[in-house]
Amino acid sequence: MGEKLTRTQQKNLERLGGVNPAEAPIPRRQFLTQVGVGAAAVGAAAGVGVAITDPWGMKGVEPPPPVRLKDYSVALAPSRPSLVVVRATPPDRSAFDSPDAEYAAREEQALTMVRSAMQEMGGVEQFIQKGDVVVIKPNVAFDKNPDLGATSQPDTVSAVVKLCFAAGARKVIVCDNPINNPESCFFKTRVGDAAQRAGATLMLPKSSYFEPLYVGGETIKDTWSMFYAPFKEATKVIGISPVKDHNLCKATICLKNWYGLLGNPRNQFHQDIHGIISDFAKMMKPTLVIADGRKLLMRNGPTGGSLNDVKQSDAIVVGTDHVAVDSWCVSKLLEKQRHEILYLDKAIDRGLASDWRPQWTREITVT
Amino acid sequence: MVKIRRAYEALALGLFLFFLLITDLRFLKGWPVSWFLEASPLVAVATALTTHTIYRNLFWGLVILGITMMLGRVWCNWMCPFGILHHLFGNIGNRRNTKQMIEVNRYRRIYAIKYYILAAMIAMAALWIVPALYNAPGKIAEAYDEAALARAAEGDSVTTFSQVFGLSSWMIGLGLVALGGYAVLRALGIFGPGRLARVPISGALLGVIVLGLGIGIVRAGVPETLSAVGDGLGRSVEASRRGNSTLQIGLLDPIALTVRSMTTSVLPSVDKATEGVYTETREYWFAWVVGLIFLGFLVANWFIPRFFCRAVCPLGALLGVFSRFSLWRIDRDPVRCTDCDLCLKSCEGASDPHTDLRKSECFVCFNCIEDCPHDALQFRFLPRKASEVTGPALNRRSLMLAGVFGVLFFPMARLSGGVKKNFDRRVIRPPGSVAEDEFLRRCIKCDQCIRVCPTNVLQPALFEAGIEGLWTPIMISKMGWCELNCTLCSQVCPTGAIRELSIAEKLGVGPFEAQGPIKTGTAFYNRGRCLPWAMDVECVVCEEVCPTSPKAIFTRNVEVTDRWGGTLELKRPFIDPEKCIGCGICEHECPVKDDPAVYVTAIGETRDKERSLLLSLVEDPSLADQLMA
Repeated sequence: MGEKLTRTQQKNLERLGGVNPAEAPIPRRQFLTQVGVGAAAVGAAAGVGVAITDPWGMKGVEPPPPVRLKDYSVALAPSRPSLVVVRATPPDRSAFDSPDAEYAAREEQALTMVRSAMQEMGGVEQFIQKGDVVVIKPNVAFDKNPDLGATSQPDTVSAVVKLCFAAGARKVIVCDNPINNPESCFFKTRVGDAAQRAGATLMLPKSSYFEPLYVGGETIKDTWSMFYAPFKEATKVIGISPVKDHNLCKATICLKNWYGLLGNPRNQFHQDIHGIISDFAKMMKPTLVIADGRKLLMRNGPTGGSLNDVKQSDAIVVGTDHVAVDSWCVSKLLEKQRHEILYLDKAIDRGLASDWRPQWTREITVT
Repeated sequence: MVKIRRAYEALALGLFLFFLLITDLRFLKGWPVSWFLEASPLVAVATALTTHTIYRNLFWGLVILGITMMLGRVWCNWMCPFGILHHLFGNIGNRRNTKQMIEVNRYRRIYAIKYYILAAMIAMAALWIVPALYNAPGKIAEAYDEAALARAAEGDSVTTFSQVFGLSSWMIGLGLVALGGYAVLRALGIFGPGRLARVPISGALLGVIVLGLGIGIVRAGVPETLSAVGDGLGRSVEASRRGNSTLQIGLLDPIALTVRSMTTSVLPSVDKATEGVYTETREYWFAWVVGLIFLGFLVANWFIPRFFCRAVCPLGALLGVFSRFSLWRIDRDPVRCTDCDLCLKSCEGASDPHTDLRKSECFVCFNCIEDCPHDALQFRFLPRKASEVTGPALNRRSLMLAGVFGVLFFPMARLSGGVKKNFDRRVIRPPGSVAEDEFLRRCIKCDQCIRVCPTNVLQPALFEAGIEGLWTPIMISKMGWCELNCTLCSQVCPTGAIRELSIAEKLGVGPFEAQGPIKTGTAFYNRGRCLPWAMDVECVVCEEVCPTSPKAIFTRNVEVTDRWGGTLELKRPFIDPEKCIGCGICEHECPVKDDPAVYVTAIGETRDKERSLLLSLVEDPSLADQLMA
């Protein structure tokens, strides 16, 4: 402090008691904390930098780890059939005063039919245990009236939801990723309403609900985007499908129903439709599949749109193997040549499933 | 009072946002979601000018107009959601002290701009008046002659319009010539007899015309003339109505502007943050332009408080014109007033309450009453006229210029060739839309149809529909598709640009069987890009998703020799133009994404016979049935 101070500076110095705080030595504690914290901050920054270093720019394009679907299937006692066809006379439309009354009667009948089919296979508790979270996948791909047969019947869906809850399921999720607008599909097919009234949770596809799923099949060799959110906590999976015609792959029943779980660009699958559908037999091992053959869309599939294309029938087919159920429905309900449906043969040839056999099949009739 | 106003503001903004959120397939259950649009008097007045009717619920606008004529511009600070947003943003951005606030709230001459904007827009909407007046005399003559012929059939003698008014026209003609000659003589300095020199020429002219017309009317009979004039004016207006006006108020109408900005910009952003608005994220064509304009107007409040309301808003201008009749207003007691100017501190409307109130600018916010330290201001019933500026301060020349611009805008816009003869193939209007000419006279660009559309197919147009069609809805099939069993856009349209449809009418079933389905366009194949056509690859996704019954897309099986000499069976798709409704789901689902191999264009739309594609669909079969019967 050799230099001369001006008058003002001297005054300031006097005011401060003769000591210039700027020239006081740094306390040791402050020195240590400052240097220490500074070094730690630099170290931490360097560490983070090293940890996220990506010299080739490839980490940025790594997809998130793929998810895998669990095996949801259940083993039945050998004495029990794995495929049950329930028949019942459809209620006569003219016998009811209002559409609501008719709807209630049909719902009642669907409940009886599905329940007796499951009874035949060993009871509902074979499939659903207490505390299960059940995902139900109906086919609501199009925003059409259920009478047109292009989508799953709402009464079957609500019947299955009720059966699940009666068997002690904790939660039932109904979900689909339709081709048309999701809200309007669930609304117009009345599946959304039926499911919610029965107590199920409706899950509409949001873009954040999709995750890459490992399939490892013939057409999807690796992964594909899939509507996975409902399956996060699922312990059981039930597919409910209509029985209908399809121009390219000839038939849409239970196996093709899983198509609705995939995300974009799923429209490319038409380039190898049979390969992709047979992959579903590898991708999904459901607890149960239900083919609702009470309204059959015989022509103009998969959208339909005219009552003239719909044939009234009387059967609901319940089974544990989707290929067997499809195979039965194709030949017995849709009146098509069984081997026209290439994807079924493909799935069987690949050893992913088996065809239906009379010894594992039972046909019953309820009133 | 200010507290009550704040409650009303919160209520109005809340209600507006609530209606905006529930304008969705999932929640729309008969709620009057269009109420704010229907309550905008500018929409009511302007669409009444263009369509000559009050559509459905637009009478609400007249109710608001009635309230304005009682209480002044209460709409602007009590009900208008955009005004309330401006109020909010002005408060957020306010960094001024009291003195600066007093200065910034003084009236400025630029606040008159909104009246010129209104004048231009009203001129665009009322352009039909010009040809209607021009053609009126001819039409009146026609009407009179027809009525005379009808009377002749009952035994009276036939007197035609020219016989009756012949004398009058001769009188008027000769009078004009004489007066003209006289004027020329007088201009040359040659005067006739002294008494004549004092006759005022314009007065004499008026006299000649009145006398001439009077003689004609007396000869024709007063009731006959009156009915012929009414009838002829009506015919003239009817003849001039088509293709002679355009509705542009929606560009700046605060409600339409807010609904549009919220729909295309704000809500998609909110959805990005919360994932709670839509099931699937929405994208909108040039939404950033709409969004920037919206933000620009909101941020302008930080520089000039209520800039949009004070200087731009044409609805505010309309209400300003009508507020001159209002019975209540803010009045200043000149004795109690100490000229402290504190009333200007938070004056929303810049209406000069510290001197003679500018009645047309006052938003009736009551802030001045609250801020006055001497209780010199009050809201009074019928105060003295002398202490107010009743009408807006306008420059007559600028007003004329604005009107002329409005009149010229229409021919400039419509006759530049993008709407009628050379209409754009991309202008695919939603089902239920009225023919393009009428559409441009009804659509206020509020984009509420775009808000409610469940598939994102409806998009605000840029210049596809000409400059008149800016932000009107068009379908861009790459973004979405028109859901077959959906008529939501037609249900929420406040002005009938998309008229209300039933599903049965849209699909052409039941009572609409003969009329057939409503087509919005037709699909075409680009066989150079279609997989089964160009690349020997199976596809027909388009056929699968085609929703009509029977499908408009059908396939033909062909066996082709592939590149290696083997045979390959392919399904190749075709369009049946009679069945195609132009919904665009084929284009949307086509795996060739960037430039789809199947695409929809506007041709074949049923809303205008001139734009139909097939002869078999041009002639109305129901009409043929009626003729046969």
